[in-house]
Amino acid sequence: MEGLAIETVGLGRRFDQLVALADLNLTVQPGEVVALLGPNGAGKTTTMRLLNGVLQPDAGQARVLGMDPSTNGDGVRKRTGVLTEHAGLEERLTARENLIFTGRVRNIEPRRLERQTDALLERLGMADRANDLIRGMSTGQRKRVALARALLDDPDVLLLDEPTSGLDPAATREVVDLIADLAAQGTTVLLCTHFLGEAGRLAHRMAVLWRGRMRAFGTPEELSTSLWSGLRVELEVDLSAQARAIEALTQLASVLHVEAARSGLSLVVPARDAVPSVLNELHHEGIAVFSATPQTPSLEDVYFAVIAGIDD
Amino acid sequence: MLINEPRVVRAILWKDFTAIRRSKAVLLPMLIVPFVMLVLLPAVLGVIATRAASPDLSRLFDKLPHQVVEPIARLPQHEQLVVLINGYLLAPLFLIVPLMVSAVLAADAFAGEKERKTMEHLLHLPATDRDLFVAKVLSAYIPALIVSWVGFGCFLVVANTVSWPVMHRIFLPTTLWLLMIFWVAPAVSSVGLGVMTRVSARTRTTQEANQLGGAVILPLIFASLGQASGLLVLSPVVAIATGAALWTVGLLLLRGGIQRFTRDRLAGSC
Repeated sequence: MEGLAIETVGLGRRFDQLVALADLNLTVQPGEVVALLGPNGAGKTTTMRLLNGVLQPDAGQARVLGMDPSTNGDGVRKRTGVLTEHAGLEERLTARENLIFTGRVRNIEPRRLERQTDALLERLGMADRANDLIRGMSTGQRKRVALARALLDDPDVLLLDEPTSGLDPAATREVVDLIADLAAQGTTVLLCTHFLGEAGRLAHRMAVLWRGRMRAFGTPEELSTSLWSGLRVELEVDLSAQARAIEALTQLASVLHVEAARSGLSLVVPARDAVPSVLNELHHEGIAVFSATPQTPSLEDVYFAVIAGIDD
Repeated sequence: MLINEPRVVRAILWKDFTAIRRSKAVLLPMLIVPFVMLVLLPAVLGVIATRAASPDLSRLFDKLPHQVVEPIARLPQHEQLVVLINGYLLAPLFLIVPLMVSAVLAADAFAGEKERKTMEHLLHLPATDRDLFVAKVLSAYIPALIVSWVGFGCFLVVANTVSWPVMHRIFLPTTLWLLMIFWVAPAVSSVGLGVMTRVSARTRTTQEANQLGGAVILPLIFASLGQASGLLVLSPVVAIATGAALWTVGLLLLRGGIQRFTRDRLAGSC
């Protein structure tokens, strides 16, 4: 546990008969971005609440920045920033007042609080709406104010629950860039989301939760290796030589599988470094190759393969 | 210590008072009901009572409890109707104000936070459960007392002013009135708060809390009407005892509320 930003061992929580989370084993290094992926009801929000000491576990334990949230919740909460799924802003207060309120509870020194409030609202493009009531703001604007509030006390760990839901594409990109910047500066981020695009862009590792249980955890590459053997490569070749190419490659030991594809060939090799030998072989056979594209599985491919595995 | 971090309580009070000031849905019932009960009604009834030409109240007195009649009957006949209305019949209405205001604000402070989905953010702040609870209780209790006491001040001015042509003296407040204002009313307010904190824990919206709370508080209002009528004609000792009983009930309800006000329980219902 030494040096980890977050660690859970067998963490679990039930609500009456409903298993919200069971046997969660998770490690997050300082400065790492880990995405918790899964559909609604997978246990993402419950995990976040358990890590911040809002819920008490009924099995296992968690440590956040070396502290046990179930016994030292306030200690943990002083060093975390949280963006809840619903922005949770007081509608009858202005954007600035919402941040000032949170800063006062967090005991931020007044002058620093003023500076931080102005800087964060500026950074999130809300400076011109700082003194407007939340009541009149769009979902995206609320989300930005809530994100500014989460960052107010320079947290060591950020717990973000659906940070881009309700945002337009431009705002989504800005928020994703901001989170990437924070991670680059060393902030640990636990990102609960069902938007695979932002997770793929931001997360070093991903955990797939399904009905309260973690079904996969690792980098997308690690997960794809565990799901599929080999690397798929698309080759664009002269279609008139397609049959001859298949015959040649079938003989090659470094080709695990080959089949015809619309643009030419689709084949599976053990790893990326087998691609040159494939190209050499085709060149040797006098078959023109116009392009070779390794098909690294996307996060989306990995996620749906994990989910499909569960369904099976 | 009841409070761990006074700054947390101060911050939540600032937030809630600012929000209340900007909410017509909360502010209007909080001001209109006291205005009607403590200003308009005493003014209208007081004017009617002073213009009545020394009516013979003996038939009415026959139907009232002996304790009510005795002190009034000792007064000159032209003062009797004014004192009966402003000193006795209107007095019980005063207790409805702290009860209603504290209930409305408690519903907003507890169930309202859930309804507006702001409760979860509070739970993620570095503040103890106890500080959150105390702050939320005070954010309903302090305005309830302020509205009640300001309302009572207005009542005194109105009642004494409209009665002046008949009374030619300031006849309110009496000792018993003062006990009601500064001892019984805060106790009644604590009962209203205690009920609403318990009710709000089981509801998700302010409307639900008000409906369920109303079902519990209405009988208390009727009980307080009857009790208040008796208080004013009995001794100050009985007023003190009644206030103590209400304080006991209110504090027991609040103690139960604070025990149930845990992050774990609240997060489960957010």
